Amino acid sequence: MIELRNVSRFYQRGADVVHALEQVSLEIPAGRFVALMGPSGSGKSTLLNILAGLDRPSDGQVSVAGRKLGDLSEDELAEFRASHLGFVFQFFNLIPVFSARENVELPLLLTHLNKAERRERAETALRIVGLAERAGHMPAQLSGGEQQRVAIARAIVTDPEIVVGDEPTGDLDAKNAEEVLGLLRTLKQEFGKTVVIVTHDPRAERYVDEVLLLDKGVFQGSRPGGAAAGAAPAHGAPR
Amino acid sequence: MIKFAPIVWRNLLRNKLRSLLTGGAIMLAIALVCVLRTAPEGFDAFLKALAKNSRISIHNTAGIVYSMPYAYLSRVRAVPGVVDAVSWSWFGGAVDVDEGVAFPNFAVDAETIGVVFEDLGMEPAAVEHFRTHRDGALVGRMTMKRFGWQPGDEVTLTSTVYPLTLTFRISGEIPADQDPRFWLQRAYLEEALKAQGIASDQIGMIWARIDQAERVPAVMKQIDDMFRNSEAETESETEKSFFQNFFSILQGIIAVFLIVSWLVTGCIVFIAANTASMAVRERLRELAVLKAIGYRWRLLFGTLLAEATLLSTLAGASGALLSLGFTRVLGTLASTTPQMGPLSGFEVTNWILVQALFIAFFVGILSGVVPSFGAARRSVAATLREVF
Repeated sequence: MIELRNVSRFYQRGADVVHALEQVSLEIPAGRFVALMGPSGSGKSTLLNILAGLDRPSDGQVSVAGRKLGDLSEDELAEFRASHLGFVFQFFNLIPVFSARENVELPLLLTHLNKAERRERAETALRIVGLAERAGHMPAQLSGGEQQRVAIARAIVTDPEIVVGDEPTGDLDAKNAEEVLGLLRTLKQEFGKTVVIVTHDPRAERYVDEVLLLDKGVFQGSRPGGAAAGAAPAHGAPR
Repeated sequence: MIKFAPIVWRNLLRNKLRSLLTGGAIMLAIALVCVLRTAPEGFDAFLKALAKNSRISIHNTAGIVYSMPYAYLSRVRAVPGVVDAVSWSWFGGAVDVDEGVAFPNFAVDAETIGVVFEDLGMEPAAVEHFRTHRDGALVGRMTMKRFGWQPGDEVTLTSTVYPLTLTFRISGEIPADQDPRFWLQRAYLEEALKAQGIASDQIGMIWARIDQAERVPAVMKQIDDMFRNSEAETESETEKSFFQNFFSILQGIIAVFLIVSWLVTGCIVFIAANTASMAVRERLRELAVLKAIGYRWRLLFGTLLAEATLLSTLAGASGALLSLGFTRVLGTLASTTPQMGPLSGFEVTNWILVQALFIAFFVGILSGVVPSFGAARRSVAATLREVF
């Protein structure tokens, strides 16, 4: 469960104060696939960063997987992210000097697993995303879609409860975007992950359980996604 | 922590050309630092080779260019502890007056020179020839080689001090590769001066051999006390100290060498820091991702710093080895080329190698600490906002 209570985020930009988020309150139950949508500058990425423990709100409370993130120190937050969250970014952000398997192993270096165990888990994650045969390839030898699938494997290799994605299809063609969205859907359906993505991609609506709408930093409410049949909706408090 | 080593190593090799160029700059700089740092010990070795602890020089307290009475010699000889003493006067002879004095030449006492400079290992026959032949000369190996002279050769020198041109017959060699000196008999010089009606009761200085090195300070004090308040007060010093003063300008140069070596070190810190900054700036996105997936800032700081330090230390080690090879080649050349003489003593010691490695290590730390700290401490959200 992800829960935000009256979350606001202000930035100081020169003499101006930018209100990126204002009094956002919402809940995302465990096991949901949710898309945060809205125009550019609506505060989607800020909200994602806050619920993923990458940024702190100026005001309000954030609770993820039963932990109040505001109570955690920087180191505790890093540890929390390592064990509870997986991240997928728009530009894949694989480390170019490591092979696909080594990239997937990166989060496991923070665990106590030995080399063989790390390798086995990385290969399992790559198998889930359909890239077991390309484990030894360097990122430059992979297509954009394949790189994003490696990034998804990296996000799930520690078996986190929550996977967050910031425009995970933003740099992909239509075919690869569909594949990645399908894969994220599989993570929710087959592995029970909570998946939260920020996206502009209208295709995403067909794969998610619910779309949460933001505009000018204000939560505007939600609508069911194309895969919502039978799913419990996320609860929000639009203003 | 060893499991993070591949991150450091792979990133170091990520931009091979840049790593190579930076490493090359550090390598050459450390090699230069090593060579420069051989100067003090090399100079010391040169002085040690030149000087003997139990030999002292006695000269006019006003300076070595001021003379003192020849009569001082017998009084010095009489001081307890003095094995023997020899007078020493600049002749300033030149093979070709237009070219000037090409090697140091002195008038010395033929009877005692062999005793006072016994440690030079001159052939007894050569010393004896010199003692018994008024026109004899003992010549350093460096000068012998330079002019292609052999024992028995006749050599004519025109003095730049006296109105004299004297011809000498070489009695033998002073057997030290870097010894340029030319000794002639004082009696021969006196005789020639007397023929010109020039008085010759002054000498430049006195060299005395002391029976035990431990007695040197006491003997020097006794000699200087003996001539206090006389027409020419004396100042005694050990041979090493004498040469140190004589070559004091070299010590100034050595100080400059050491300052330059620290400046070079400072320069490479900036070069390496620039590289580290560029390397970190290119990777801000990756660093943000690593922080997002749970890497703590201290771990990222450690890997970035390790990268800068590893590059610097490896390059420094290569530079140290380069300097070792360079000085060995220099030493080999010096042993076969007398003109390069003192350079054979300039040796990169183990201590210098250790210093070089430490300098390289700290260059890595200093150059990496600021960019690494800045990158590792950046907020993930701020970086993501900037780079995505």
